[in-house]
Amino acid sequence: MLRYYLLLGVRNLVRSPLLTGLMVLTLAVGVAASISTLTILHVMSGDPIPHKSDRLLVPLVDNGPVRNYVPGTQPDDRQLSYRDAANLRRSGQGMRRTAIYDVAGAIEPERPDLPVDQAAGLAVDADFFAMFEVPFLRGAPWTAAEDASRARVVVLGKSRAEKTFGAQDALGKTLRMFGQDFRVVGVLDTWRPVPRYPRLQNGSGGALAGEDGIYIPFATATDLEIPNTASTSCDQDAAPKAGYAGFLDSECTWIQFWFEIASSSDRAALHQHLTRYAAEQRRLGRLPRDAPVQLFDVMEWLRYMNVVSNDARLATWLAFGFLVLCLVNTTGLLLAKFSSRAPEVGVRRALGATRGAIIRQFLAEAAVVGLAGGLVGLLLSLGALALIAQQARQLSMVARMDWVMLGTTFLIALATSLLAGLLPTWRAAQVTPALQLKSQ
Amino acid sequence: MLRMHNLSKVYRTQMIETHALRGFDIDVREGEFVTVTGPSGSGKTTFLNIAGLLETFDGGEFTLDGVDVRGMRDAARSRLRNEKLGFIFQGFNLIPDLDLFDNVDVPLRYRGFGAAERRERIEAALADVGLASRKRHYPAELSGGQQQRVAIARALAGSPRLLLADEPTGNLDSQMARSVMELLEDINARGTTILMVTHDPELAIRAQRNVHIVDGQVSDVLRHPASLVEGGGRTATSLQ
Repeated sequence: MLRYYLLLGVRNLVRSPLLTGLMVLTLAVGVAASISTLTILHVMSGDPIPHKSDRLLVPLVDNGPVRNYVPGTQPDDRQLSYRDAANLRRSGQGMRRTAIYDVAGAIEPERPDLPVDQAAGLAVDADFFAMFEVPFLRGAPWTAAEDASRARVVVLGKSRAEKTFGAQDALGKTLRMFGQDFRVVGVLDTWRPVPRYPRLQNGSGGALAGEDGIYIPFATATDLEIPNTASTSCDQDAAPKAGYAGFLDSECTWIQFWFEIASSSDRAALHQHLTRYAAEQRRLGRLPRDAPVQLFDVMEWLRYMNVVSNDARLATWLAFGFLVLCLVNTTGLLLAKFSSRAPEVGVRRALGATRGAIIRQFLAEAAVVGLAGGLVGLLLSLGALALIAQQARQLSMVARMDWVMLGTTFLIALATSLLAGLLPTWRAAQVTPALQLKSQ
Repeated sequence: MLRMHNLSKVYRTQMIETHALRGFDIDVREGEFVTVTGPSGSGKTTFLNIAGLLETFDGGEFTLDGVDVRGMRDAARSRLRNEKLGFIFQGFNLIPDLDLFDNVDVPLRYRGFGAAERRERIEAALADVGLASRKRHYPAELSGGQQQRVAIARALAGSPRLLLADEPTGNLDSQMARSVMELLEDINARGTTILMVTHDPELAIRAQRNVHIVDGQVSDVLRHPASLVEGGGRTATSLQ
């Protein structure tokens, strides 16, 4: 019977195109508004690496001064000092680990008549690529031995490689940066996790867009005394001693750190180790705040870093408020449509339709409106997302629809139309057949 | 086929109670053609609505084809209505958005017949009323008489045990009315019991029995042997 009801629904909608058009459009506008904002929220708050997001952990060791510290409050600093980063790199904890900081410098051309090009990227440990499953187009990451020997090697981002070497194979070529010759050991394929979870702090291009051009070993970068080009936080009363060595020896925070553990059950052991480490550092006269060491997995880190802004959440709530308004309007239109069909209800009841059958028929008709509204709403959503994507590069990364949102569009449209159809359907089912049959 | 004993129906508002039927007795036997007459407001339509399970009653007994319908729930009443009854109305009550085929299809859908059986029944019913060739036409494209024939086809398609007709010729001119009446007589001759409300005394006396209702009660019952009717007389042969 469902097929029969749906067929009747389609016929009835086609018979009154103006009213139908109005209902479908009302619903479609509401669906488009809510789906386009929800899509952005969905992409922004999605898990960028679902199969291991609970095994990639960011440690925070609070080394701030006691002054103005309120125990129990979250630290405002999201990076580590070189001392802590170096200790954690040596700790052997987790199955992989990497320190990260931002580097930038000029790429000197082979011929002096060519212009100097600026490159920005990261100083990381070799584990970085395996931890975040960075795809390689050519070559491979440098080795742990090259890390230890502070080798002058570089991995290039896809765009950087194309920009510097054009159609030529970059692998094995030499790039002169920071006054040194770096050998290209790998070229990355396109790698754009959304959000850019390893780069939420200082990521050039923001949390959603942007791409790093060069990756060099962390040990090489510090050996060459390459400065951090992103945020560095130092206590005003504990300025670093002069020189790069003084900076490394300071309590300034400028390094991001990630662990990868073999199993999520290893997290407690890592946390325990970090707590012991902090206690030991306190005994050595550091970490005056006595704040607990914190550990965040990827999703916790995204929340902690407030990737989904309150504005985005508010926009979604407002869009859904608008959808409710559209729902109320559709209810009114369906009431008008179904009320005019009271004689038909009377006839159908006389011919054997139960109240349940009438309810099913009219809800099916509302569902047809919903599906049509969903389809038009989907087209409007795609248009709205295209417009949003044009506003900023950041938004272009999140203003894209996936299968989940496609399904959600129709579910929302269907649910809205069924909700809108409840009252009109209930009223239609209450028609007294005897009264209708005589009055015709 | 249909038996009501001491049936009562009261319409209540905050201020007044109206006794539409009281102490109402009737017994319609299988294969009968019974007409129901009475002045306006006498309770004819209320009786027909209750007989058609479109309204409930307040007291008394009512059995339809041996089934006691007292206290029946909506779904059971709807099923009984669908299986045992056919309706013909003064205003035809065809669904304007459906063509003739689909109009006749409506009760068969609720009956749960398969597609092949429905098609067979619809085409036979439309052929019976002489409209087989117009099955894809819409009601608005037909004359009043033709629309009433479609309504009869719809009522008959499910092979009902009892056909309830509420002034089926009320909206038709005399020629069409006669034609519809002849069709009903033909249907009755083939074994379907018919209960018809009418204001037209000429039609009333063509049935085998005429029940006259006044103030919600059966006031008299007139039997009309065909020979007497054909002779032009209206004779009360018994009072039930």
